[in-house]
Amino acid sequence: MENNTVLSARNISKYFYEPAIFQALKELSFDVKKGEFLALIGKSGSGKSTLLYVLSTMDTNYEGELLMNNEKLTGKTQNELAAFRNANIGFVFQFHYLLPEFSAIHNVMLPALKLGKKSKEQIHQDALENLDLLGIKDQAYKSANKLSGGQQQRVAIARALINEPAIIMGDEPTGNLDSKNTDIVFDIFRELAEERGQTIIAVTHDDEFAAKSDRVLELSDGLIL
Amino acid sequence: MIKATNYKIAQGHLTSRVKQALVAMLSVTFGISMYIFMNGFMTGVNDIQEELAFSTLAHIRIYNDLPEDRSNLLVNYYQGDKLVNLRHPKVIQYTEGIVNADKVINTVSQLDELAEITAQVNMNVFYRNGLTQVNGMLAGIDATMEHRLFSIAESMKEGSWVALDHRSDGIILGVGLAKKLSLGMNDNVVVKTADGVTRNFKIIGLLETSLASVDNGKAFIQINVARQLVLKNHSYATDIQVNLKDFDSSREVARKIDTLVGYKVESWNDANGQLEAGNELRNYLAIAVSLTILLVAGFGIYNIMNMTVNEKIKEIAILKAMGFEGGDIVEIFLVQSIIIGLIGGVVGVIFGGVVSVLINNIPFELATIKTLPMAYRMSDYLSAFGFGMLTTFIAGYLPAKMASKVDPVEIIRG
Repeated sequence: MENNTVLSARNISKYFYEPAIFQALKELSFDVKKGEFLALIGKSGSGKSTLLYVLSTMDTNYEGELLMNNEKLTGKTQNELAAFRNANIGFVFQFHYLLPEFSAIHNVMLPALKLGKKSKEQIHQDALENLDLLGIKDQAYKSANKLSGGQQQRVAIARALINEPAIIMGDEPTGNLDSKNTDIVFDIFRELAEERGQTIIAVTHDDEFAAKSDRVLELSDGLIL
Repeated sequence: MIKATNYKIAQGHLTSRVKQALVAMLSVTFGISMYIFMNGFMTGVNDIQEELAFSTLAHIRIYNDLPEDRSNLLVNYYQGDKLVNLRHPKVIQYTEGIVNADKVINTVSQLDELAEITAQVNMNVFYRNGLTQVNGMLAGIDATMEHRLFSIAESMKEGSWVALDHRSDGIILGVGLAKKLSLGMNDNVVVKTADGVTRNFKIIGLLETSLASVDNGKAFIQINVARQLVLKNHSYATDIQVNLKDFDSSREVARKIDTLVGYKVESWNDANGQLEAGNELRNYLAIAVSLTILLVAGFGIYNIMNMTVNEKIKEIAILKAMGFEGGDIVEIFLVQSIIIGLIGGVVGVIFGGVVSVLINNIPFELATIKTLPMAYRMSDYLSAFGFGMLTTFIAGYLPAKMASKVDPVEIIRG
């Protein structure tokens, strides 16, 4: 295995048992390199989101093997995986899911406070830098529910970045945004991949978004085309 | 230890729904204060009951009981299906009363548990004033000692209780009895015993205890005079009354005394089972009612925490996605209910105390009571708080556990 491989999927299969037995993923194998901006596309029901949640370690009910940074994740307990996610994966979802009671900066700090590797002052400093990088430093102390949709999504990205994760995973990260904000978010991802060597895996049905990524995996009926 | 981050999130949840949190707190407050009030009131009632009972009743009474029934003399010789005819068997009491009371008193006085002890000569007599004749009890007592056991001097309506110790011709009558005889202070009354001995006494006091059996049918004279009336020796007594330092130990101490003296030894709770039964039943009632109220408070917390969990289910999912473990989620929600419980509990303890004082000041005049009774026991306050916290913990833990089991994939994918 090459050193710059961040994530390896080996023969990943996934079944749904309700309402009838249905194989959503069919023995998928692929590698993701460091700094790669990967787009998962496909029609609805193709299995792209299902694949992302298996890769995210949140869904453990699959067959096959999943490795990240040469560490085997298949078979770990929920709590071990939670700790792993905390340190190595950042998430950006279609809906931002910020904690509405907290300020933007506190939302960003949350995963780092949970990780507990840095002092609170240091985390605060990092969070401010991340917000600055995303151009919303001036909104840092506003309550999360007072921000616009695009601003909230940028806060969510800043939050995903705070622990300097190996991979950022996005599930339709621009799905709920207008075209202007979609461009902003895409540019941010582009920049992160190119300038910081940040690995990004994003599920999208936005062809334009996919076209600008490094690599596209198109899924259909649980297979990679 | 609760992690600062989890605590912060919990705080956020609480402050975002102050009203519901306040309602849950109020339910805890109400539950705990009712627990305190109910138990305090019941204990107060029990205390009053005991106080009233012990105004005539000693903790232990020593007296000469009928001897054991051995009238079936043939029981050891003929058994089984033999027919035996035994005519007119009788139980005969050879000695009446306690002949050597001083010795018994000396023996019992050695016990560490003893507080007070006194001898009495009790008898049934007729009281006469001219043509009016009333039967009743006459007690020969040592006035000073009697007061130490039963605080009887406080019930004097007229005259002085201790004066009896200096007046061998004096008698103190219950007010009802005096009225029946149409007598008042300094009048004379004739006492006639069952054996036909009569003697004249001067009324030096009137007693009003609110107990009908005493007020309407009892009188007190010096114990030595009573001994003369029944033609007995100088150490004779019908009853020896004993008070202990702790009346709860009456049964054990009575058993101990029983081995020391040759007479019947009876504790107050053996003689008056209904008193003890009443106390116990009231205690059960208080516990049942107050625990029910606490249970309702628990449902209040359970309800609000369930609502919070359902409302924040997406946040829970994202927290788990970001790496918060099941234990963190339990902590976040449990902290909320514990905060609700703690604040509600502290307020409840204070409120319970205030309610108790208020109730205690409500006028309620019956017998010797002036206001509604109330006991203030540290243990009630502590156990109210303890039970409150336990309820809160359980009611908070269940929804928290449910929250920790949320599957983030299911929630985020919708």
